[in-house]
Amino acid sequence: MARFLVSRLAGVVLILLLVCLFTFGVFFVLSPDPAVQICGKNCTPELIERIRDNLGLDEPLLTQFLTFVSGLFAGRTYGVGESATHCAAPCLGYSFQSSQPVWEMITDRLPVSVTVAVGAAVLWLLVGVVGGLVGALKRGTWWDRSAMVVALAGISIPNYVFALLLQYVLVVELEWLPFPQAVPFSEDPTRWFQNYLMPWIVLAFAYASVYARLTRANVIDTLEENYVRTARAKGLPGRLVIRRHALRPALTPVVTIFGMDFAGLLGGALITETVFGLNGVGKMTADSIARNDQPVIMGVTLLAAAFVVVGNVVVDLVYTALDPRVRVRSA
Amino acid sequence: MSGATSEPLLRVEELTVTFDGPRGDVDVVRELSFALEPGGSLGIVGESGSGKSMTSLAVLGLLPAGARRTGRISLSGRELTALTERQLRRVRGDRVAMVFQDPLSSLNPYYTVGAQIAEAYRAHRQRATRREARRVAVEAMERVHIDDAARRVDHYPHQFSGGMRQRVMIAMALCTEPDLLIADEPTTALDVTVQAQILRLLTEVRAETGAGLVLITHDLAVVSEMTDEVLVMRQGECVERATAERLFSDPRHPYTRALLDAVPRLDDEVGELRSVDEGGAR
Amino acid sequence: MTTIPTEALAREEGAPSATDGAPPPGRVWRALLTDRGAALSAAYILLIVLMALFAPLIVKVSGWGPYEFDQTAIDPDLAGTPIGGWGGAGGEHWFGVEPGNGRDIFARIVYGARASMLIAISATVLTTLLGVVFGLLAGFFGGRVDWVISRVMDFLMAFPALIFMIAILSALPAGNRATLLVVVISLFGWPYLARVVRGQTMTLAQREFVEAARASGASRTAIVFREILPNLRSTIIVLTTLAVPGYIGTEAGLSFLGVGVVPPTPSWGQMIASSVNWYSVVPTYFAIPGVFLFLLVLSFTVLGDRLRAVLDREGAR
Repeated sequence: MARFLVSRLAGVVLILLLVCLFTFGVFFVLSPDPAVQICGKNCTPELIERIRDNLGLDEPLLTQFLTFVSGLFAGRTYGVGESATHCAAPCLGYSFQSSQPVWEMITDRLPVSVTVAVGAAVLWLLVGVVGGLVGALKRGTWWDRSAMVVALAGISIPNYVFALLLQYVLVVELEWLPFPQAVPFSEDPTRWFQNYLMPWIVLAFAYASVYARLTRANVIDTLEENYVRTARAKGLPGRLVIRRHALRPALTPVVTIFGMDFAGLLGGALITETVFGLNGVGKMTADSIARNDQPVIMGVTLLAAAFVVVGNVVVDLVYTALDPRVRVRSA
Repeated sequence: MSGATSEPLLRVEELTVTFDGPRGDVDVVRELSFALEPGGSLGIVGESGSGKSMTSLAVLGLLPAGARRTGRISLSGRELTALTERQLRRVRGDRVAMVFQDPLSSLNPYYTVGAQIAEAYRAHRQRATRREARRVAVEAMERVHIDDAARRVDHYPHQFSGGMRQRVMIAMALCTEPDLLIADEPTTALDVTVQAQILRLLTEVRAETGAGLVLITHDLAVVSEMTDEVLVMRQGECVERATAERLFSDPRHPYTRALLDAVPRLDDEVGELRSVDEGGAR
Repeated sequence: MTTIPTEALAREEGAPSATDGAPPPGRVWRALLTDRGAALSAAYILLIVLMALFAPLIVKVSGWGPYEFDQTAIDPDLAGTPIGGWGGAGGEHWFGVEPGNGRDIFARIVYGARASMLIAISATVLTTLLGVVFGLLAGFFGGRVDWVISRVMDFLMAFPALIFMIAILSALPAGNRATLLVVVISLFGWPYLARVVRGQTMTLAQREFVEAARASGASRTAIVFREILPNLRSTIIVLTTLAVPGYIGTEAGLSFLGVGVVPPTPSWGQMIASSVNWYSVVPTYFAIPGVFLFLLVLSFTVLGDRLRAVLDREGAR
């Protein structure tokens, strides 16, 4: 078990380093000179030179990369003397636009993104798994068919289209919800909830659809397993056969996939946040794309990759705990 | 054993199992009748697709979706086809227990073998405590000669070898002291050496408990050793029924003769092979 | 991929299990055409393909090009809101005009189909090529080749693909965005196909007919192309069909975010993006490209689903 963990962690570090290298390469080698971009409109050659010096853009690429990586773990100092600024670890640099530290920008907006992600995740797990179960256990009925039609629509409708449609119907036409407007929970919980309701639904819809299809297929497959027949032959009541012998094997893969999807939400919530004007990490990323604010995009990319890679390990650990076949082998 | 002595343990009359297929209905078992006296043994032999497995599943109402059954099945005089699902559930695993072909896929990989045996026990002994059920599981495993049962009761199916898994299945079937054991190809998925051990075990436990046996197999050599009577099935119908002795000395139906000709004789080797130990856990 | 959770979908979309040769195409076609859902989907896809192919001709008939501004169709006093109901739809502009600049929505939909189809089809071709080649290599040769390819696949699949695509596309100069989109989508898309191809190739390589070919002295190339590849046909067709909607969604999503097709070239995703500020006033502006996009993704998904079902059924015979 310990060896398994160590090898997994080594893998994580390796992948993260590769991700760093990849992002670094994309942003600093392929893209236009950052100094010119920071400099903006009223630029002079001297100013550009100062910026280049400050950011260490004249150093060899490898040195730049190492400085960047060490900045992540130990922080780094830009410039020298009085104008020097220290960027504490984990240092992702400063925004070209606002000159704020990228790490701070991300952590400021993370609570909003987490709220969106957690709410949506609860919703999609509940709706998806229950929908899939109903479909599988009432196979071929009206329930099953309508759930699967909705799920098909859910995986086919782009979420920004769904977002606009929902907003148009619920806010403009029916006036069931007020126009989205950021309100802190402490100030007006109802309004806060209304504000997040649509983002949750929009983000959850596609995932819930996939989970419903997956759950349904898994449960149907599992019900045909020989061990389910054994359980019936033992004389177990039908409900117990399903709960104990069909659901656990059928839902274990869903749990692990959920881990992956949840970890990937930082990227997935980008469009939803943008459409609903929620000031989270996703919207910040979209804004940064529009303004070509590369340090921010790069920081978010790295963080998102870290989430996914760490999520992968967590999923493996959870899977090990859930599936005895894996557990005993690695013990 | 319960039930009047005049009644056979199991009586099947004009059993027909029908599947609704894409091109109309297909009878996989057609008007099959047989009876088994208490403590007796019957072999059902046939090729794959002859309907022998469906017969065994039909007895306990375990047919897959899309299959229908007509005819009468009675257990010690009690008509099983008239029972509700609830009543039938009390018969399954308690009075009639089954052992299936592939022990790996027939055991749930997510639970320890002990939990799965205990579950079979507790399904019919509602008042049994967990501790008691566990004790029964260990005893049942000891009875089928699984070494170190007290420890292995907490192991998962994949930690056992094929033969040991089938022993677990048999232990699970035995823990409720059933009157009838239905074994559907219990040795087909196993190595030849292990097959002999499992068959010997089945004979042994029957001698101890006096349970009746319906043994379903494609292997004539197996039934010749294990059962008093043999029923040969082909395409859903019974083509010949005889005592094991007579069937081998004087097969009447050409199909039976063809089957017999196809059997490699290994009668005597089995005794020697028995001494080979199958080696416990992987 | 922007709208669809890739992880779960990739695992859900199993390949057809049949490896004993593909069923005859004639029978598959007949089975598909008698299936209402599949036939309707195929018809819609065909419509969009034709629309993309004959865009200049169609636009000539409808009267307005995709880049022409019709100032008479919008009301300058209302910040450029289209004149008339339904976003200004009527005989002049069939689907109405874009608020603010008066461009003909029908023409932009027709031309937008070009961007969608061109990018989706090119990405599909490239992904399939990469996926099949690397999957075959890894599965057939095994050993070190397999190790390297598998690690690269793990690496690519561990990435948050969408964010990475955005990062790359936003960093690279705008230049030829369509080509870039195809390359980036394929770069992150091929491992999902390759993984399945690899697995099935490994199974096939152990099969009797491959052993027989090997024993009779057939070259490795001949074995791969004559024995293994034909048996992978069903798998590849199904997985590819199911991947197309993902690529269409990705293109639209990236264009929606402003890193895809560069304006003024129309793309459905981009049209929806520019409609965000108008959705409450001119709902048709997002609804029309939205419906076209939705139906296209839906059609490919349904077609893929049905194709898999048919191949499974026919293969089981």
